[in-house]
Amino acid sequence: MTTRTQPPARTLAGATPDEVRAECAELFHDDLNPVLRRIGDRPRGAGSRAAPAEDDTDVRASVWATLADMGVLSAALPAHLGGSEQAQRILVEVAELTGPGLYQSLLPDTLLAADLLARDGRHDRLLTEVADGRTTVALALRDRGADEPDAPGALEVDRDHGTVTGSRRFVPFAADADLILAVGAVDGAMHACLVPVDQPGVGVRRQDDLGRGDLYGVSLDRAALAPDGLVRVDRHYASALARARLRHAAYLSGLCRGALDLTVAHLKERVAFGRPLAGMQAPAHRLAALSAENAALLALVRRTARVADSGTDGIVLHAVQAALLANDLARTVSAEAVHLHGALGMTERCDASFFYRRAAVDAPRFGTGTGLRKEAARLLRAAHNADDPGRG
Amino acid sequence: MTVTIREPIPELSADQRSFRADVRALLTRPEVRDELTGLAARPPGDEPVLLETYRLLGERGWLAPSWPVEYGGLGLGAVEAAIVTEEMALAGVPDDVHVLGVDIVGLFLLMEGTEEQKREHLPALAAGERVATVLFTEPGCGSDLSGLATRAEPDGDGWRLYGSKVYNMKSQYGEIALCAARTSDGPVPMHGITLFLLPLRSPGVHVEPVPSMADECFCLVAIDGVRLGPESVVGRVDDGWRLMNDLLQLERTGVDFHGKARRLLDLVVERAARSGRLDDPVYAVRLAELDAKLRASHALAWEMVHDLDRGAADPVASAMSKWYASEQFRPVLDAGMEVGGADALLSRWDEEAGTTARHEADYRMGPAHRLASGTSEVMLYLIATNGLGML
Ligand SMILES: Cc1cc2nc3c(=O)[nH]c(=O)nc-3n(C[C@H](O)[C@H](O)[C@H](O)COP(=O)(O)OP(=O)(O)OC[C@H]3O[C@@H](n4cnc5c(N)ncnc54)[C@H](O)[C@@H]3O)c2cc1C
Repeated sequence: MTTRTQPPARTLAGATPDEVRAECAELFHDDLNPVLRRIGDRPRGAGSRAAPAEDDTDVRASVWATLADMGVLSAALPAHLGGSEQAQRILVEVAELTGPGLYQSLLPDTLLAADLLARDGRHDRLLTEVADGRTTVALALRDRGADEPDAPGALEVDRDHGTVTGSRRFVPFAADADLILAVGAVDGAMHACLVPVDQPGVGVRRQDDLGRGDLYGVSLDRAALAPDGLVRVDRHYASALARARLRHAAYLSGLCRGALDLTVAHLKERVAFGRPLAGMQAPAHRLAALSAENAALLALVRRTARVADSGTDGIVLHAVQAALLANDLARTVSAEAVHLHGALGMTERCDASFFYRRAAVDAPRFGTGTGLRKEAARLLRAAHNADDPGRG
Repeated sequence: MTVTIREPIPELSADQRSFRADVRALLTRPEVRDELTGLAARPPGDEPVLLETYRLLGERGWLAPSWPVEYGGLGLGAVEAAIVTEEMALAGVPDDVHVLGVDIVGLFLLMEGTEEQKREHLPALAAGERVATVLFTEPGCGSDLSGLATRAEPDGDGWRLYGSKVYNMKSQYGEIALCAARTSDGPVPMHGITLFLLPLRSPGVHVEPVPSMADECFCLVAIDGVRLGPESVVGRVDDGWRLMNDLLQLERTGVDFHGKARRLLDLVVERAARSGRLDDPVYAVRLAELDAKLRASHALAWEMVHDLDRGAADPVASAMSKWYASEQFRPVLDAGMEVGGADALLSRWDEEAGTTARHEADYRMGPAHRLASGTSEVMLYLIATNGLGML
């Protein structure tokens, strides 16, 4: 797979983050967001075989195709594959825009998978297909529920036969993806195993979860690896994960924006004690404070993205910090959104309940709040010791 | 076994301690445990209503121990009632039917009902054999019930009711409901509200489910010209506002909210102990702090119970107790998510989760506690105005 390949038809090389944001905002528009929020939602307890409605699958496919057409999926690739020098700045804008619609897709996975595979240098053709939207990759980052993505647990690889065995759970869209990229320790070093989904060695089962969407348990039983499918990632994984966390923090910031907008609009309408609830200081101040927290989060995300694009390697701590702030804020804001809608907020017909359930599932995707805090503490200590070697 | 020390209540008398032990023993009987385990295995939408556990409690007079014997109680006090409520919450017995039927509708009838109303309804409610529901909230008003739009129009010696009520629970299974309606208009919106006993299975009453993200749905009750005689009025005509304020506050000790939060925290701590995370200070410190808050909540709630028992209920303190207890759910649920990781997201219908997986359902129910029985903001308003003389 080492042959030089053409970049995808349209790329974002040369486009500014603001331009991309403006174009993308037409896709993740206020009119479409309420529709997007409900796409793929299954009834409670729908079980392991519940597929999304056909219309939902069509909408998903068309949004995905639009993202590919816009060049979003190639933004973070190397320049010869159409990547942009401002990739992270562009992608955090796109990710933020996907938040208000709770857009569920392989976008975070695809971008992290592409990041890992691009550095390997052997997958240009596949990366072009991914950038074109023709091939999709789901990322498998944990086995036990308590696993954090920086330590996803071991995988067993048979190098002679080119197969991998292991279990991965909470894998988004595994049933729809063409390939699974399972990350884990192989012989003590972090590797990514690229596995075609459609083969006898791969079992996929939908999990019934709070988000009622598309999380799957994946069992790999001597599953055949794709060509060049065993990729050693230990040198890149931390920084690739940091970039993924940053984009995810942007998505969660967008989620907060969506939940806040919904709630502000409701409080302007809802009258109690003779005037709209928006006129009462307590809820107004609460929403104002949460908006300010969200503005600070997004500022940190944007600044860190700028640093990431400048090629400096020191974003890991800041990305972890952005992720942990985003993780907390998404859960707080969505819970507050339900609360301030009153009992209406708990109903299925009110989108506040979607924000609440999805935030709980989406927030810890790249690390739980506690896991991120522990990692941030470790990195902070390391940075401190490096600044002052005398402290050891 | 859980690490939790079930709270001692030093002020209990020997009889009350023994009552508590009896209730606890009943709730650990195999048939009760089996019934509760069976609930977890039910398909979505299959709600608990009149449980066998209620009947077992009811036949001993324990569902309403503070009610007089002739109405199905034991003639005991608020302490015994709180013991039952707390033990039910700690054992995980669904309590909606109990709260609605005994703590609210039953209490209103006991305090304000006619002898005929009491005889007709209280024994069946105390026996756990009748579902009574509460129809206060409307599409247009919840926190501020002075905005009630349901009308009771005079009709001969009685009334005809028109309006709709929403976010009420269990009305699809209920026989009667305590319904607030406007009987007269005037410059003061709080005036002119009357409470009625509304038979739910009458022509002119239409009950429709309002799906909720929690396991149990809300109901929308449309009332279209139902005729009620004068015997359906609870208390005095136009006196509903005072009754709603005075009596709802009696139900508000915080014991029920504390009990449910404590049960949740116990499960989280137990899970942390099993997974080894309780040995990790990052988790343990957080859980220890939550444990401290729930102990404080328990102490405060029981002060309310004793005040109530002495006939000296303090509305400001009881608002504090409800607020404090219900504010603990969110941090406890969040801690559960941290301890369980992604496993805590799995519903009990997932093949891997098994019937012991509860956290997901508890998480969906989480926001309800700050809303039901007086929202947090309404509690804070009571504390700030009546307690601190502000606003
Ligand atoms: C699980 C559950 C069970 C329920 N069961 C019943 C039942 O059986 N029967 C029944 O009649 N009702 C029931 N309710 C409804 C409940 O009583 C109402 O939800 C509650 O009174 C709040 O009203 P609302 O939902 O209309 O919220 P709203 O009044 O619209 O309030 C929306 C938000 O604004 C806040 N707010 C309101 N006023 C102010 C203010 N002045 N200052 C600051 N903040 C304010 C509220 O606290 C809330 O967070 C139930 C609710 C729940 C969640």
